Amino acid sequence: MPGIDECLLEAMALPGARGAALVDWSSGLALGTAGDSPVGDHETTAAETAELARAAAEYESFAPSEAEQISGGGTPSGPPVEDLIVTTRTGYHVLRFVETSFDSSVFLHLWLDRTEGNLALARHRLRSLAEGLVLR
Amino acid sequence: MTAPAPTPAPTPAPVPLPAPMTAVSPLLTRLAAERATGALLRDRGTLFLEDGRIVHAESPATPGLDVLLTTGGGLAPERWREALDRAGARRQVARFLVDSGGLAGGELEICHLAAIFDAAFFALSPGSGPSRFRRGATHWIGSVRSVPAAAVERETRRRRELLDAVWPYPLLDTAPVVPRPAAPGQTVTPRQRLLLHHADGVRTPADLAWVLGRPAFHTLLDVRRLAAAGLVDTPHAAAPAPAAEPLPDWMTQAQSPDVALLRRLRDALEASL
Repeated sequence: MPGIDECLLEAMALPGARGAALVDWSSGLALGTAGDSPVGDHETTAAETAELARAAAEYESFAPSEAEQISGGGTPSGPPVEDLIVTTRTGYHVLRFVETSFDSSVFLHLWLDRTEGNLALARHRLRSLAEGLVLR
Repeated sequence: MTAPAPTPAPTPAPVPLPAPMTAVSPLLTRLAAERATGALLRDRGTLFLEDGRIVHAESPATPGLDVLLTTGGGLAPERWREALDRAGARRQVARFLVDSGGLAGGELEICHLAAIFDAAFFALSPGSGPSRFRRGATHWIGSVRSVPAAAVERETRRRRELLDAVWPYPLLDTAPVVPRPAAPGQTVTPRQRLLLHHADGVRTPADLAWVLGRPAFHTLLDVRRLAAAGLVDTPHAAAPAPAAEPLPDWMTQAQSPDVALLRRLRDALEASL
């Protein structure tokens, strides 16, 4: 039964992984961190990535409105926005949304080295890690 | 003849204690330093410590784990009650929930951390009154994850600043939320819509947190964001009673212009032409 720490450690085992965090995008709180932060402070990185994630998770162009959210019908499978990728000169950032059985707003953030990281592998792995967090 | 007493060595001036940031709760800082175990009780909430780390928190101002977990239908209320009945006395409710398959381990940790920081925000709020510490007290939820007390204090301070950075209007935290129509073309996100849907002008942000099954701080923050976007009314503080100090008669009794004087002036001017 993987918890937050195991999940972040596994993310850090990916090639080129430099830092990982589980972040609440509504408040900007880091629920757990591993490795380094690009700015040397996980809390700042959490607050900044949260703003990016919030925009993606909330804007209608990315997350179409679901009328059933109000009427309460239907169980959606998978988050409306699955992940976000930011490519910088020196690295990749993958933000993977985690869907929980209760109302929450969390995502996994993985920071990868540009030369050593494997983006396709990281995306694939983060997906299974996000699912593992909520696997009973 | 006695030699003059040597002047005493000057005592060093008391060095002011370094206080880069005022502690949110000096008692909490002290308890963390002495690795205490027990419950820190304040007016607006209780923090549970184990070896100086915060292992749980609850506040009457925030929905508890039960509300957060069951509102969305992810956990049936019966399963929560079963966990309380069967593992409450052993103080292992959390472990029972996970072991019985009611909840994923990661989900429990996520929700539990959200609840800790949420309750701590209110428990450590400035108006939360004096603190008492009940040494040795533990919580029936059992062990999930612990957080350093310093991290909780830091986050509490950050959250206060965040609220005011979004929309510096504390009255919004307690006033009923009254929606305003969106401007043409304005985006209202699904989460915002859900909140506005329940905002009936009677429910306060705290009430909405219970209805939505979201942490109370998240609801305060969302309401401030909505206010900044002009999607809810900013409540008006009761206007202070107008200053009732009566003005003297000579100011208030409007004096009619002295018609007689004006006539005399006119006559004099005409006469001089």
